[in-house]
Amino acid sequence: MIRTATSPAVLGFTAALLFFIFSPFLLQDNAVYYRVMTMTFFYGALALAWNLYALTGNISLGHAAFFGLGAYGSALLSHYWHLSPWATVLFGGMVGAVYGLLWTVAFGCLRGARFALATLASVEIPRVIIDNWESFTFGSLGVVGITGFSAVRVGSVSIALGESLKAQYYLLLCCTLVILLIHRQFIKSKWGWAVRALREEETAASMLGVNVHFTRSVTLLLSAFLTGLCGGVYAHLMGLIEPPLVFSLHISALPLVLTMFGGRYLVCGPLLGALILYPLDQVLFHSLLPVGHSILYGLIIIVTLLFFPHGIGSWVQRRRTFS
Amino acid sequence: MVILQLIINAFSLGSFYALVALGFALIFGVTHAFNLAHGELILLGGYLAYTLAGQMQVPFLGTLPVTALAMVIIAILLQKLLRRVGQPYELNTLVVTFGLALVLQNTMLMLFSADYRIIQSAAPAIELPYTQLLLTRTQVILIGTSLLATTALYILLRKTFLGKALRATIQDREAAKLAGINVRRMSLVGFAIGGALIGLAGPLYARTTYLYPSGGTEASLIAIIITIFAGVGRIRGILLGGWALGIAESTTVYALGTGWRELVSALVLISLLLLKPQGILSRKPKAARLPG
Repeated sequence: MIRTATSPAVLGFTAALLFFIFSPFLLQDNAVYYRVMTMTFFYGALALAWNLYALTGNISLGHAAFFGLGAYGSALLSHYWHLSPWATVLFGGMVGAVYGLLWTVAFGCLRGARFALATLASVEIPRVIIDNWESFTFGSLGVVGITGFSAVRVGSVSIALGESLKAQYYLLLCCTLVILLIHRQFIKSKWGWAVRALREEETAASMLGVNVHFTRSVTLLLSAFLTGLCGGVYAHLMGLIEPPLVFSLHISALPLVLTMFGGRYLVCGPLLGALILYPLDQVLFHSLLPVGHSILYGLIIIVTLLFFPHGIGSWVQRRRTFS
Repeated sequence: MVILQLIINAFSLGSFYALVALGFALIFGVTHAFNLAHGELILLGGYLAYTLAGQMQVPFLGTLPVTALAMVIIAILLQKLLRRVGQPYELNTLVVTFGLALVLQNTMLMLFSADYRIIQSAAPAIELPYTQLLLTRTQVILIGTSLLATTALYILLRKTFLGKALRATIQDREAAKLAGINVRRMSLVGFAIGGALIGLAGPLYARTTYLYPSGGTEASLIAIIITIFAGVGRIRGILLGGWALGIAESTTVYALGTGWRELVSALVLISLLLLKPQGILSRKPKAARLPG
């Protein structure tokens, strides 16, 4: 049972990582590449954060609530108190986690389809409140002119995160790697086994000493915090947010699609989905169908669930376990 | 007088909601498929009616049979698709139809653009005698169609042999199978009738509110709320649920303003899921059920 480092998944991951680290040196200043890959990493991070909770077997259709609250919390704090984006992004994550706490209190006993519906409806609550509270949140006009990330000094070199696309590319790559590491620890650790037991059979898991409510709540809080963090990063990268943009169905749906497609029980599954689908959408579908290019994601969900419900990553996985 | 006018408007809005929910309730009851693309199908019917009325000058009532027929065909295709979905059935159909909703939204975006559309009605409002209350033609058609569809479905389920078989399938699939009912055919019938009801709701949607590609989610939520409120397979409860929701929304709009309307349905849905997931109007089961 000694797993050597030569398994195809590990090899593939190392190769991909090396490629993403060194590709900017080969491509020089290809703006399209940076923009597309930055957003790919971004959605990969979002999908990984989403999947933390989906691993417990409850599928959320409402992570846009955490995302939007994180974005608004971060943007408003930066707008009114002029704090550094690094601090406000953390605050955004905490706002997301607070809403996650409300979910654990309110939806703690809901499972399956009922949970999914309740989460779908709970996106509306912060959206409508923010839309109507014009004196504080600027309502449907949105928050504009959010300050970008300030420059980071490493020794004598100053990296302008606000302007340089290349710097943003590396920032998002790092964020995604951190969330990937959390996701990996989550799956491989004892906690991961508890979560898996909950997914398969909750009564049996609690018999074996898994604290059902505590495990679910902490997992949801972590997932909400990371999603809120992503929302904060988004606000400062884009410089503009408005309720229909950050509380959209698209934000809730995309992590689901990417994770299902990549493989929801695998460490790199959600990221794999993002790396394949988002560039495909942006480069190919966006030029073919400028208005309705998101049709790709809908088709992918249907095809994935009908024909390979464990995602394309499971093909690699299965071959390894057989050999 | 304002209050009476408000009640009339709430009543017609509620009838519309009941009509939106009927198709969903039937399909969910018979097959346990959670059709999140329900609202998008209604919008599709609405756009079809809009095109027919706008480009071919079909009179409004003439569009109803056409959209109903088109939606029956689409619903049967949907049943073929959902039959292949594995366990857990409710959650997986929810996710698949969520994908379908995205596909339909984007298709409508491509075909009809994101502009707001509505089927205009030229006829003036009717003033009720002895009062100053106004009733528009659209409201008359709405209340009429809604009552007619509910009554027809009620008679179908309660008075015919097919209805008996459908109700047996709604109550207990396994027992229905044991009694010799072809459950698969019943689910086909459920989807077909549900499709016809969706087709009826579509043109009325286009006449009542503005059509835009991403508006379907709200219609789906309304259908789900009313179905959960009424409890599975209870047709009269749907009408009551529709009216209750219509009154709740109209009162909120009157008291707080239009911006808060969307909050009502979300809050009602969440509280229903938490408090009475089996439905407010459902009776307690007479015999103890076996677990599992």
